[in-house]
Amino acid sequence: MKKYFSKDKWNFMFYTMTHPADGFYEIRHRDRGSVPLAVVMVILFSICYSMNRMLASFVVNDVEPRAVDSLRELTAVLLLYLLFCVGNWSITCLMEGEGRLKDIAIAVGYALVPMIVTLVPATIISQGIADNEEAFYTMLVVVGIAYSVIIALIGIMQVHNYTLGKTLIVLFLTFIAMFIIIFVCLLLADLVNQIYNFFYSLYTEIIFRN
Amino acid sequence: MENKKKRRLGKRIAGLLLSVMFLGLSIGETAQASSLPYDTYNYDYWENIVFTPSAYVPDVSVSGVNLGVGAFSSPQDMCVAPDGKIYVADTGNNRIVVLDSAMKNVVKVIDSFERDGQQDTFNAPYGVCVSEKNELYIADSENKRIVVLDENGDFKKIVDNPTSEILEEGYVFTPLKVSVDYADRIYCIGRNMFEGIMVFDENGDFTGFFGTIEVQITLWEKFWRKLATKEERSKQQLFIPTEFTGIDVDSGGFVYASNVDPEGVQAVRRLNPKGEDVIKKGESGNLGGDILVAMSGTYSGPSIIVDVVYRENGIYSILDSKRGRIFTYDREGNLLYIFGGLGSQAGTFTIPVAIESSGEKVMVLDSYRGEIITFIETRYGNLINEAVALRFDGDETQAVAKWQEVLKLDENNELANTGIGKAYLTAGDNKTAMKYLKLGMNREYYSIAFKRYRNEILKDNMNFIMTGIVVVCVGVYVFKRIWRKKKGKKAEGGIL
Repeated sequence: MKKYFSKDKWNFMFYTMTHPADGFYEIRHRDRGSVPLAVVMVILFSICYSMNRMLASFVVNDVEPRAVDSLRELTAVLLLYLLFCVGNWSITCLMEGEGRLKDIAIAVGYALVPMIVTLVPATIISQGIADNEEAFYTMLVVVGIAYSVIIALIGIMQVHNYTLGKTLIVLFLTFIAMFIIIFVCLLLADLVNQIYNFFYSLYTEIIFRN
Repeated sequence: MENKKKRRLGKRIAGLLLSVMFLGLSIGETAQASSLPYDTYNYDYWENIVFTPSAYVPDVSVSGVNLGVGAFSSPQDMCVAPDGKIYVADTGNNRIVVLDSAMKNVVKVIDSFERDGQQDTFNAPYGVCVSEKNELYIADSENKRIVVLDENGDFKKIVDNPTSEILEEGYVFTPLKVSVDYADRIYCIGRNMFEGIMVFDENGDFTGFFGTIEVQITLWEKFWRKLATKEERSKQQLFIPTEFTGIDVDSGGFVYASNVDPEGVQAVRRLNPKGEDVIKKGESGNLGGDILVAMSGTYSGPSIIVDVVYRENGIYSILDSKRGRIFTYDREGNLLYIFGGLGSQAGTFTIPVAIESSGEKVMVLDSYRGEIITFIETRYGNLINEAVALRFDGDETQAVAKWQEVLKLDENNELANTGIGKAYLTAGDNKTAMKYLKLGMNREYYSIAFKRYRNEILKDNMNFIMTGIVVVCVGVYVFKRIWRKKKGKKAEGGIL
């Protein structure tokens, strides 16, 4: 436990936020990152995201509170996270990426930190603003998202030792890979379902014979 | 807007699922609480269906047989005259039947008129309208003319064969629906006339088209057309604008015209004298009848609006022939209430074709059954109508009492909540105003209330806030000094 959540790992995460290129290099080559910490960040992000959707002020929030299911969103975020990491890993394996699955998971997880850090104050600030003062709120949220995207981009780039152009291509391919994975999973699920149905009908047939 | 569209698509899918679910549920259903033959509901801010008390309930059905003039044969239009008489275009029987305002007796049956000393008759009179001067305008469709009779039923003039450069050569004028404004200008919907509503001046001369609906081609369709060869293109469907289906003119000369919108977004237009659409679309941006519709099945797809009636105080109703519903909007485009339905029970329709209103009654003409079905307003409907009327007159404070009554019957009525919220805002009770405006999902006024409330709180607590800031500043300063001293000592200790 201590190995994963030590103060050093924690501090290094924030160091990576301000020095992404340097930080992710260290994570890749000197194991300064922590996957559990990254997963905790993903969970935290999901919580902050659901909280923002549920609790942000009526003025800026166009989401029906009754439609927000934080547990479902948590599963969705975690699944997407897994899907992205696996998709990226499978593509970069073929494209001379140096990163391990572990490094990708850390890069993506850490990249969510700016969004966590901005979503909470944005939600609080939204309680105190009226119409046409939304700019404050939007700015905060947009800055968070932009920062996260930049960190993620640099993270993937550093971890695999890619150029920016190649990173973008890889990201595009990653999304295609994600779709293929989803497709295969659905296919598999359907197949399993059919096999199950086949055996189930066999079973009922035998039952009714006697 | 884009967001809304996306949400709408999502809703449609949800609607499909819902309809499947309801199919499953309705099997187990036994008794219903309401004895009405239809559901009354409305859409909330998030476009969910919310069931409401009924605004109108079925009253009586009037058929030609009841009246003793023989059954109506596929009547297509009706009109309420300024004096309350009801004119029904009995299309299949080539006559106009005039009923008294109580709809109990037939005043007269017009099946012919004297023109230049000769008896003339109608051939499939499709539309009928009575002007403010009590002159009768009949769209005599198969005779290709509009017949105008004066208040005594004597022949006045005939409008036919419109000639103009803008009309296509060989165009056969077949008037379907007709309406007249205060200056005796005639607005007419012609068969296969996609350019817009045809306008005739008081002398019966064709002056031009009015309120043309522009064709909207999506980028996708354009793309495919680019790819297609000339032959393929000629085989493709032409992009023709939708036709108007019904017209009504309000006392100010604004023309309300309904049309079939395949997107289900805007099925009614309010045209100013220049022919521009000046209708207000309200918070939801939707004037197309049902918002949440099934994607497949018998009653799927957006509403088919066949007629519109301007009632009073900015309120107008549109009639949907697909699901037999009547949607009523106020001047701002807020959906006030929905009632009506298809079926064979009393108070439902088979093929509704025309809608009219007089006083507290709404009448719908069913062409298949040859019946006029009347609806009478309930207390709920009456309260909404009156509250909207008061607001239309600018008397929002008086409207509050009505809205409060509405809330007693329908707790979640967003219009009522907004109305009350606005009143509290005017009265200066910002906190209560915020509560009601939030319930009414009105961001604009909520923000006004919120700003005032925020200022109030800031003003009241200025002392505490300022003191707090000073205390925090001093505290941080002191803490820092102490901390530094401690650290310094530690460091010294370390050295030693």
